[in-house]
Amino acid sequence: MFDAHAATPAQASGTIRLGYGRHADPRIAIRQCIAAMGATRPAMMLAFCGGRHEPQAVQAALHDEFGPVPVYGGSAAGVIGRDGFGYGGFEIGLIAMEDPALAPQAVVTRSLLADARAAGEELGQAVAALAADGAAVLLLFDSVASGSPPRLHHASRIVEGFHIGARNKPVCLFGGGLLTDMNLSDGWVFDGAGIAKHAAIALVFPPTVAAETVIMHGCRPVSAFMEITRIQGAEVYELDGRPALQVIEAMLGLPLGGSRGQELSLVATLGQKQGDPFAPHDENAYVNRLILRANPATGSVTLFEPDFAEGDRVQIMSRDNRLMLDSVEHGVADANRRLVGPDSLLALYIDCAGRASARSGASIEEAEVIRHGLDPRVPFLGFYSGVEIAPFANHPSRPLDWTGVLAVLRRRS
Amino acid sequence: MATSAPLASLGQIERELAYYRRECNDLGARLLRLQEEQSQAFREARRSRTVAKLIREAYRLADMHMTAEEIGASLLEVIVENALCDGAALLLQDQLDEGSFRVVHAIGPVATPTIRLAMPPGFFFTTARSVLEPQAYALTSILGLPYILWAYDRSTGHALILGNRSESNVSRPYEPGDQELIEGALSVYIDVLLRKRAETELRAAKAAAERASEARARFLATLTHELRTPLTAIIGFSEMMLPGSRYSLTQSNVERYAGHIQDGGKHLLALIDGILDYSSLEQALPRLSPQWVPAQAVLTETASLVAGLARTRDVAVEILPAEQPVAVFIDPLRFRQVLQNLLGNAVKFTPAGSAVELSVTQGLAGGAVFTVRDQGIGMRPEDIPRALEPFQQLDGSQGRKLGGVGLGLPIAKGLAEAHGGNLSLESAPGEGTTARVTLPAERVREQNCP
Repeated sequence: MFDAHAATPAQASGTIRLGYGRHADPRIAIRQCIAAMGATRPAMMLAFCGGRHEPQAVQAALHDEFGPVPVYGGSAAGVIGRDGFGYGGFEIGLIAMEDPALAPQAVVTRSLLADARAAGEELGQAVAALAADGAAVLLLFDSVASGSPPRLHHASRIVEGFHIGARNKPVCLFGGGLLTDMNLSDGWVFDGAGIAKHAAIALVFPPTVAAETVIMHGCRPVSAFMEITRIQGAEVYELDGRPALQVIEAMLGLPLGGSRGQELSLVATLGQKQGDPFAPHDENAYVNRLILRANPATGSVTLFEPDFAEGDRVQIMSRDNRLMLDSVEHGVADANRRLVGPDSLLALYIDCAGRASARSGASIEEAEVIRHGLDPRVPFLGFYSGVEIAPFANHPSRPLDWTGVLAVLRRRS
Repeated sequence: MATSAPLASLGQIERELAYYRRECNDLGARLLRLQEEQSQAFREARRSRTVAKLIREAYRLADMHMTAEEIGASLLEVIVENALCDGAALLLQDQLDEGSFRVVHAIGPVATPTIRLAMPPGFFFTTARSVLEPQAYALTSILGLPYILWAYDRSTGHALILGNRSESNVSRPYEPGDQELIEGALSVYIDVLLRKRAETELRAAKAAAERASEARARFLATLTHELRTPLTAIIGFSEMMLPGSRYSLTQSNVERYAGHIQDGGKHLLALIDGILDYSSLEQALPRLSPQWVPAQAVLTETASLVAGLARTRDVAVEILPAEQPVAVFIDPLRFRQVLQNLLGNAVKFTPAGSAVELSVTQGLAGGAVFTVRDQGIGMRPEDIPRALEPFQQLDGSQGRKLGGVGLGLPIAKGLAEAHGGNLSLESAPGEGTTARVTLPAERVREQNCP
């Protein structure tokens, strides 16, 4: 663990302290965090908790250790820290913000279930009233609308509503969806007052804090361009006039009916190339959508997000673990070169849960690459998320799948 | 024709484009499959590594200062973290009822903490295609999860169950190949558990052996002293009385010294009796010659045996009247020895001018309780177990001053147990000691019965 302002690894003093712990008893996990953080009296806290922990038990333990400090964050499919990482469900990652002048203001909505877009709009309006131009805004939300059958709170709807509500106010919006595990079983949010379901929080940092992001990818196209010829929400029925599932099955050489349908999210994504479609391949030009499930009865596939439209040209993308690791290595090098400096306050890694080795099958955990590769002077914590949000290709922020978003918060000079 | 060449080119370009599209898709499909095969292979390898990791973690846990019981919870955490399942539990078979299993450790909710399995399988799993027959129904009811992986070790009665809510994503369907994982995890748990228990037993045995060794050393020291004192007196006085002795003894001196020699001899005899008694108890249970005796009479006879000592020490022995006269089926000689040892101790440790109480009452479930209560120096409750061990004298100086080699209580305990009863002590420093000897109901009846 490192002090943001110290050249040597220590948390002797500083404005942001981080801790990582892992234990079935949340009190012990939190004490492990505290052992790394040292004595601290935070003005506010961010907490990411493995999904096997009872949120009430974590909340009680945090209250006992830190007193009545507002806590934001929520469940995470796993946590990545300097001292360790894991996705077994017993991890806890804490970020203690000591300096009130650097602590963000929070805006909360608990209306995702009713209308994610309207909830996003509500958040956007409130953020616009609080935020300075260019402000760093961290958006965290409960990813799971229902566990069985799996149904998500669509980040694209929330973000779309946010931009409308904020009247396109220029802010650096970044964040992720909160999950309890990699199977999309559930999610929950610490909203500053308690534990909330179907909630989203926007943490608006003061003008003295700036955020910049690096996006790590890991997919490459494996088909020619295809046109979405029939789509309804997140349900893609046809590609190039043929049943979408049939097209993907032909590519895979596998029938995807029955339980295997949900394994599609382990295999392929649909990618939309931004800008010139015939420009040389650039992973940064792609917005990928994971496939939530295959539906043999309708011949369709359900995407994680409903933001593709009829007429969009997409490609079937293959996850490429080598590419993913290369992308992280390049991204970390880029962050170290461009973003890390004496004014760095915190590096927060929002990492798609599917990239973890247990799910991707990668021979090396990409989390290891980042926690060892990122300049040790920067306080670093990450969590495994359901979806990632970041400014993309010089456009307003949008939700991304199968990415790792490294956000570096810095003091604005 | 001026326009035919461009048209032909366009057609060729379209064909070429179609060719490249087809090749692109074919190559892409192959790449996709290769990628998936590679991922699958890595996932399989990861699963295999899980057992190796479990073994490593388990032995790391075993080296930590944990009890055998704590190992279960910690190991289950490691299993769940590595197997990435939604729930897991360790179960233990009931020793008396082989069909009954009880959850002893769990991660995640437990729907049925105790189940009955007529024929517990060694290995079992369920998938979406499983038929829900009684065994599958019983096993899936433990965690309340539809997809389970089960292993059971018949020789030790331990079982491990993992469960998933779904068969998608990370929670892929269980398959026969998972036998290696679940059985590996269970055997690692059993191995570490047994190792930890053996360690604990070994430590306890070592401590007991050390205590016994210390006690024997103390006993030898005490015995030497106890033997030397009367022997010195016997040898000294007999030398003085020998014909040709340089001492010119009066008849009165000779009579007195002969008395000292006799006392010394009696003391030695009592000492040797005690050692032989305890030694016989250690070797095997004594052969008893039981008969029905009025309990109150046992008290009276015992009191008379220590009357001399009580008088010498100015301690009163009070026999409390019984509410309900009972007869007890005992070996009168051996049982009196029990009460005599207790009463003798009580008299020895009670200050002059005080009283010792002796009583018999009916115990729970029809038994009898003989009680000896003194107002002596007492002892700390934590010293009681040691006082019941052989050759122990909690306060050596006091014990030696009052005589005895620390065998009275162990002998009393052994004889009480030989009667099917037990001996318990209740004591506090400065408040005296209460000794209770219980007899089971089958050795007690109303006194007026023949």
